[in-house]
Amino acid sequence: MIPLNWVVGLGAALFAIGAVGVMVRKNPLIMFMAAEMMWNAAALVFVTFARSFHDMTGQVMAFIIIGTAAAEVGIGLAIIVSVYHHRHRLDIDEVSELKG
Amino acid sequence: MNGALGPEYMVVLGVFASMIAVMVSRQRTIAAYWAALAAVVAAGIWTAALWSSPALPISLYAQGVRVDLFSLAIDGLVLLASAGALLVGWNDARYGADFPALVLLALLGMMVLGLANNFLVLFLGIELLSLPLYVLAASGGYAESREAGLKYLLLGAFSSGILLFGLALLYGASGTMVLTQLANSSLILPLAGAGLALTVVGLVFKLGIIPFHMWVPDVYEGSPLPVTTFMAFGTKVGAAAILLRFLFYGFSVAVGWWEPALGYLAVLTMVAGNLLALAQKDMKRLLAYSGIANAGYLLVGISAHNQAGARAMLFYLLVYGLAVLAAFSVFTMVARERNSVSLNDLTGLARRSPWLTAFLAVAMLSLAGIPLTGGFVGKFYLLQAALDANEPGLAIGLVVGAMIGLAAYVRPLQRAFQGGDGTSEAPVRWPVAGAVVVVIAVLGTIGLGVYPAPIVHIVNHSAAFDWLR
Repeated sequence: MIPLNWVVGLGAALFAIGAVGVMVRKNPLIMFMAAEMMWNAAALVFVTFARSFHDMTGQVMAFIIIGTAAAEVGIGLAIIVSVYHHRHRLDIDEVSELKG
Repeated sequence: MNGALGPEYMVVLGVFASMIAVMVSRQRTIAAYWAALAAVVAAGIWTAALWSSPALPISLYAQGVRVDLFSLAIDGLVLLASAGALLVGWNDARYGADFPALVLLALLGMMVLGLANNFLVLFLGIELLSLPLYVLAASGGYAESREAGLKYLLLGAFSSGILLFGLALLYGASGTMVLTQLANSSLILPLAGAGLALTVVGLVFKLGIIPFHMWVPDVYEGSPLPVTTFMAFGTKVGAAAILLRFLFYGFSVAVGWWEPALGYLAVLTMVAGNLLALAQKDMKRLLAYSGIANAGYLLVGISAHNQAGARAMLFYLLVYGLAVLAAFSVFTMVARERNSVSLNDLTGLARRSPWLTAFLAVAMLSLAGIPLTGGFVGKFYLLQAALDANEPGLAIGLVVGAMIGLAAYVRPLQRAFQGGDGTSEAPVRWPVAGAVVVVIAVLGTIGLGVYPAPIVHIVNHSAAFDWLR
């Protein structure tokens, strides 16, 4: 059996990759994907601990995370598409009419 | 007990009713607004009826939800916020048919945040609040609004990810998801520390505290005016409520882990937020930085970590909300067809509409904390809480922040009394719904400043966290 620490470490690595992705990448789609990766890292950690505690609440939380992420993707893609329709290019640095 | 979640059920019914009204008429209809407003009023009446119920506090769903006087006070605040937003945007063709239903959905999220006692409910509340607001922010139909929606979405998803990972680590460190059981569980130290830090960062992101504030001004400026009103008041109430509940219920024992950090953040936010507000020319942006600074004031109440702090924070939420409602409804009337108000648009307002200028003056002076307005009393209680907790640094930060803020809030007033020959421009038109909001908000602001006793009584009961000092 894989030790608990390794799986939690994998979760932490996924979370870090996601966080760096949001901060470094310029394309909103990729940034959004990286943010979703952070969510999934959390879901993985919840499931891991739930297994080690023999407790179902962590498993339920993972399902809730997946469901909410689906809702968020629906809304997110709609907003990103509407921005894309308007300018036909996706670069977060160019979406900058608001500043000051 | 049945009926403990009555206010939430009313809001759910309101969402359905207002969606069905739009479906039946196949277009934007005023019936949807009336349905939403009726639901808000019904939920308010139910909340008031629950207030004196002897069964409180009520724990439901394996302690996932806890209805107590604190959650009822939060219900009242967010119901006020959503009623204000609905009336400011009353039957306005610019915001799409779904505006009332989406406002009610976000309202539901805020109410859930008030009674969350479990990581699951906490997360669902945050998302239920955020998802409709992403859509609302982008619903203006012009480029800035879409940009605001995109930025809110990306940073919201990012901060929710941080929050979730923190919750996962806390679950691993304690073996429980229930906030009130966290205090009794033996925490595994490095995991719990990291989890607490990430969770607090995630929540503080939503509140708009300074190192994590960069989304606030852009989103406030880009969103349509009624949506900004709702975000400024409602989101702040929801985020502050859940931060207070999470820390006071879950980490009351391990105070040293979070109290100093939040104290430093509060001082930084109060001073820097007000300094940044000084330079703003756009009124929405000015109120966004003012919202950041006010989030710092709220954080004073949390990091004081005593009963006085919790009470002062609840009281200040009402004071801030009323001032924001008054200011935004005045701006909505001045802006008319446009979506933003700059300093120049206010020039000569005192001649065009003396009453409107007076109302704006009350709101701005309350935000600045001048005596005889609610803002002064609210800041007074916060100062008292900080001094009770033996934290003079917090008190000094609050006073310095308020002094800088005064300059920022007086500038629009100075413009309003300057210039304008009074002949070229017609007086500002008053829509009935907006007038109701501004009059109630101004009367409330002055009332709280002159005679705060009834609200103080309510707040004292609802923030009865007996285990604190």
